[in-house]
Amino acid sequence: MDIIRAIIVDDEELARSIVREYLSDHPEIQIAAECSNGYEAVKAVTDLKPNLLFLDVQMPKLNGFEVLELIEADLAVIFVTAYEQYAVKAFEVHAVDYLLKPFSRERFDEALARVQEKLARNEFVPRLEVLQAARSGTETVERVLVRDGSKVFVIPTEKIDYIEAQDDYVSIRSEGKSHLKKQRLSDLQSMLDPKKFVRIHRSTILNVDRLARLELYAKDSRMAILKDGTQLQVSRSGYEALKELL
Amino acid sequence: MHPILSNQERLAVYLIGWLIFGVMLAAVLALPRDFSWLEAGTLAIPLTLVYGLICLSSWYVCRVFPLQKTSVAQVFAVQALAAIITIAVWGLLGSGWVIVLERVLTFVAFRTRVLAKAPLMIGVGFILYSLTAAVHYLIMTFEASKESDRRELQSRIFAQEAELKALRAQINPHFLFNSLNSISALATHNPSAVRAMTLKLADFLRKSLRLGAQEMIRLEEEISMSLNFLEIEQIRYGSRLQIVQRIDDVCKDCLVPPLILQPLIENSIVHGIAHLLDGGTITLEAEWRGSVLHVHIENPIDPDRPRSKKGGLGLDNVTKRLRAIYKDDAQLQSDERDGAFRIDLWLPAQTNLGLDRSTSESVHARLTE
Repeated sequence: MDIIRAIIVDDEELARSIVREYLSDHPEIQIAAECSNGYEAVKAVTDLKPNLLFLDVQMPKLNGFEVLELIEADLAVIFVTAYEQYAVKAFEVHAVDYLLKPFSRERFDEALARVQEKLARNEFVPRLEVLQAARSGTETVERVLVRDGSKVFVIPTEKIDYIEAQDDYVSIRSEGKSHLKKQRLSDLQSMLDPKKFVRIHRSTILNVDRLARLELYAKDSRMAILKDGTQLQVSRSGYEALKELL
Repeated sequence: MHPILSNQERLAVYLIGWLIFGVMLAAVLALPRDFSWLEAGTLAIPLTLVYGLICLSSWYVCRVFPLQKTSVAQVFAVQALAAIITIAVWGLLGSGWVIVLERVLTFVAFRTRVLAKAPLMIGVGFILYSLTAAVHYLIMTFEASKESDRRELQSRIFAQEAELKALRAQINPHFLFNSLNSISALATHNPSAVRAMTLKLADFLRKSLRLGAQEMIRLEEEISMSLNFLEIEQIRYGSRLQIVQRIDDVCKDCLVPPLILQPLIENSIVHGIAHLLDGGTITLEAEWRGSVLHVHIENPIDPDRPRSKKGGLGLDNVTKRLRAIYKDDAQLQSDERDGAFRIDLWLPAQTNLGLDRSTSESVHARLTE
């Protein structure tokens, strides 16, 4: 059997140490890294491409679900947390198991058995589906997470100017920079506050706070002029949506 | 709102009372045979009823000069003046009525005979006015005590609710589970640390149960419980959690409601330290200023942390509890600025020094130094 490479993510050293200790009975599993926060976890997963992730939920900066949203590798995830309330969501993102702290060695081994089974079958849920699940239920978000290589950007939604669809990606324009993120525009739109963000065009979402004025430039077609001078095309239905909001 | 005019039943009872007075007055006039029964009845009954209505206005006088806020002499002076004015108005109306009766019912020498009875009428008027004023004062006292009962009951219920909530929130299950997980992690390699943490945890649980059941505890006990809590969290958070405390010795005997600081300290970890990669320092200060106990809690905070929907619930509970216990005499302020979260708490500085002379004297000595 192949070696399984695992990463332990928890902000508490003691919580990591017990996973480490239980793993010492399993020579087939090698600890590739230990991370004490979400940023490190995203970087480690991107660089080390592990097969297995032990993931705490409540951590500084990025929580466990946000980490999952930002990584692309196909891997097995075991959530390890003291909170019961994330269990449903954990299985929605196809976590292999959900360990409630404190947990016994037997319970831990059971979780590992499931991981080995899953890795043996090598069947992974498509990333996009996992991503959608990771974001679901989070009503409207206050920040959007973007990863560039192993670097993570946290963009508060009020700092977003507009968002444009680009093939499989969305380009998020904020503070003079564009951030690419693999996501559907409609999925992103459903996460944003509908009182602030309007789909003004098939391929554009606008933060209405940035709008300076609207100009008619052809029949049924308008141009949104932003406060920084940027011009964005507004479709007829986009205009209706804007009118409704303003 | 006039207590009698605004309530039909009360008004009916009131007017029936005055009708009886009217009949009595008619009898007083008719029995010595100075007036016929018809004369006495047509004079006394309508006039008394009208007087009853006029006397209702004494409510406004009573309200402006309530018994609690006015000296006895003032009450008498004001009410006497009001009585004179009321009687004068009544007298004016009465004269009109006498003239009408004399003309319409052709009573002989009615005016002269009524005038002869004027001193009696004035006397009756004075007594009846005084009676009405007394009734109004009675109603006022009754309603005030009902209102204060209601308010007290409400604040008691509220205090109890807040107490219960505080106690339930006190032993945060996740705090327990995480601590137990730490103990489990320490078990293999560090048995003495397991023992230390178990003892700390037991200590904390026992303190919070024992102190939580009391109405007031000494600040020193509350702080020691909070520090106990922080020490347990320090085992979990390691070097990410630092504690600085500056507690004036004189404050230690101040009485505070139990578990009033602990939720604030817990907040500073859950919403502050836990979101910071490198953690930070929680500062706890207490000082005695005049008649006020001032407690200050400060912790670093990540301005970009995800806002939890529950944020501020702990603060809300503490504020509600303070209000229930101290009404407007306690204050809690919080503000977030430059990556720091600050809480200031002002409480009336109370001690139970009367019960303990030696402490009382030593605190007094320290205060006068």
